[in-house]
Amino acid sequence: MLGFLSARQTGLEDPLRLRRAESTRRVLGLELNKDRDVERIHGGGINTLDIEPVEGRYMLSGGSDGVIVLYDLENSSRQSYYTCKAVCSIGRDHPDVHRYSVETVQWYPHDTGMFTSSSFDKTLKVWDTNTLQTADVFNFEETVYSHHMSPVSTKHCLVAVGTRAPKVQLCDLKSGSCSHILQGHRQEILAVSWSPRYDYILATASADSRVKLWDVRRASGCLITLDQHNGKKSQAVESANTAHNGKVNGLCFTSDGLHLLTVGTDNRMRLWNSSNGENTLVNYGKVCNNSKKGLKFTVSCGCSSEFVFVPYGSTIAVYTVYSGEQITMLKGHYKTVDCCVFQSNFQELYSGSRDCNILAWVPSLYEPVPDDDETTTKSQLNPAFEDAWSSSDEEG
Amino acid sequence: MQKWFSAFDDAIIQRQWRANPSRGRGGVSFTKEADPNVTTGAPPRRPRVPRRACPWREPIRGRREARPGGRGAGGTPGETVRHCSAPEDPIFRFSSLHSYLFPGTIKSRDMSRKRHHLVPETFGVKRRRKRRLVESDPLRGEPGSARAAVSELMQLFPRGLFEDALPPIVLRSQVYSLVPDRTVADRQLKELQEQGEIRIVQLGFDLDAHGIIFTEDYRTRVCDCVLKACDGRPYAGAVQKFLASVLPACGDLSFQQDQMTQTFGFRDSEITHLVNAGVLTVRDAGSWWLAVPGAGRFIKYFVKGRQAVLGMVRKSKYRELLLSELLGRRAPAVVRLGLTYHVHDLIGAQLVD
Repeated sequence: MLGFLSARQTGLEDPLRLRRAESTRRVLGLELNKDRDVERIHGGGINTLDIEPVEGRYMLSGGSDGVIVLYDLENSSRQSYYTCKAVCSIGRDHPDVHRYSVETVQWYPHDTGMFTSSSFDKTLKVWDTNTLQTADVFNFEETVYSHHMSPVSTKHCLVAVGTRAPKVQLCDLKSGSCSHILQGHRQEILAVSWSPRYDYILATASADSRVKLWDVRRASGCLITLDQHNGKKSQAVESANTAHNGKVNGLCFTSDGLHLLTVGTDNRMRLWNSSNGENTLVNYGKVCNNSKKGLKFTVSCGCSSEFVFVPYGSTIAVYTVYSGEQITMLKGHYKTVDCCVFQSNFQELYSGSRDCNILAWVPSLYEPVPDDDETTTKSQLNPAFEDAWSSSDEEG
Repeated sequence: MQKWFSAFDDAIIQRQWRANPSRGRGGVSFTKEADPNVTTGAPPRRPRVPRRACPWREPIRGRREARPGGRGAGGTPGETVRHCSAPEDPIFRFSSLHSYLFPGTIKSRDMSRKRHHLVPETFGVKRRRKRRLVESDPLRGEPGSARAAVSELMQLFPRGLFEDALPPIVLRSQVYSLVPDRTVADRQLKELQEQGEIRIVQLGFDLDAHGIIFTEDYRTRVCDCVLKACDGRPYAGAVQKFLASVLPACGDLSFQQDQMTQTFGFRDSEITHLVNAGVLTVRDAGSWWLAVPGAGRFIKYFVKGRQAVLGMVRKSKYRELLLSELLGRRAPAVVRLGLTYHVHDLIGAQLVD
């Protein structure tokens, strides 16, 4: 570490190297910390979490009771012990609250004035954060599994919505209606994600084992259907290509948008090259996935080797993205973990699970190393516990 | 300012830790004493590391040198022993085991101990590994390579059982059990496939299970068996044509309609002959998997044997078995392909831990 600092100072190394090395070291040291807590508001399992991309300060959570809570993650108190408080919430008594479970929440990518939430009650609601009123509601014919708005786009305000119907609907926030529909899947769409690199590229994952990449400007159909066997590409082939051998539950682009990670109910996670749809054949081993709806996982940002955090039963498994190695399993939840998000400014991970808790995983700083084992054990003994008996054999 | 000081302190602690790793375990000193006491009436301590050090390789392949314990529990006395536990409650097993071995520890401490081993590794103490590879025997190829693994596993296949009608088939999961890094194994298998040395075949019972066969074996056996079975029938011509033209040209698992008709000039009737002969299996409208004729018997024995071996592990007390004990037991009559064959597959497919 000191070596990095002096190299940076003298100009021998890029300043970014120190930052990346330190971020990686911090991510490797993620663990539960007794000093950090997130206030427990939800009465049901937590389905989705999202941290706003502007400052990384506010976090939204959506629960299976339909409640949406907004947390402030910043520690403005001078003490190390800090509970992330809920700033406000849309509870069951709110007139516009979702009737059923909230599946996805997402901040408006450009500021925190607005956020969107979609739920099993077949609606997508657009909320104004300051007044906590719905600005707009989109109704669909089927339950909504997932929605996503492009994090980089300035040219369009489309929200891609995946529902139980096999078509992907694109809703325009400016006009307030569905602008178009992407046809191609055969069963329900479990996850959608826009590319963080290009404005118009969208990836959708469906229960028919297919993952399709679309350019939304193109009318004739999807660009690529991902094929796990990397077979020859031709028009007629597309119908037989499957990305997984079961339902595809989760999608996540890496932060540079060049690769796409998918998880499926065949207990596999695959890494794809997002420009040509090739399976990079990185093998992560068995990634248990029993979720009947979408699984929300996340990728770290700003480390030298990126890590992917996947909910694995009641733990979170951490893998390196490009080599497939499992680093560790983060244990702490009591029930199945449904979602996790990474805060890239402080390298913290927040995860929500069905036990109604949100846990904060914080990089552990050094532990105080005792000077010498014997002296500490002696001194640690509280005088109240010391006994007055002599240790010699003779009595009295 | 405070953050900066902690970073420096961090660095100093790192340096201290690197000099003397055992000190880094902090205040949880009583676990060191607890360990020998715990093992009195209990099964030997298993290195409960997800899938890093593979000391279990010793009983099956005596020639391989055991890699150092590496991360996590490293340096345990019971290195030649490995437990197989059934997958039913993997999470339950994990937590109960931790409280058993390290009574009173908080779970997060455990994780941090593992993690501290990883931290210096990111900043480059990898020289140790390189030296080990150089020592290996150059004639066998690298001991960790997929090709060597496939050759060794082929020896395990019981040829006599199928009266030489089937080429020896090895499964991809078995290769994973011998090559520790799965990504590397996959890539090497892909290279071998592209070079034309092996064919990968979809075995029908599980979409994930791929069988690996050496190309020459496949060609000779298919020729023999198919020609024997259908002398004079119209299949023979189609099969010969297929073996001669398609196999060397296209290394994929599956074939598409237009590929077969246009590139290779097969008519629909010929494709039907191929399916009847067992060389192709239907995948979807207009696409076919490559198949091995007569593999049905193999698949039947395989599935039954796999269930039987899994059952053996599941029925044992605490649902775990020492590998040496498992291999020493008499195989039930259902297991025709050999216990070692199935054990490799179960370990590689992560059906047991």
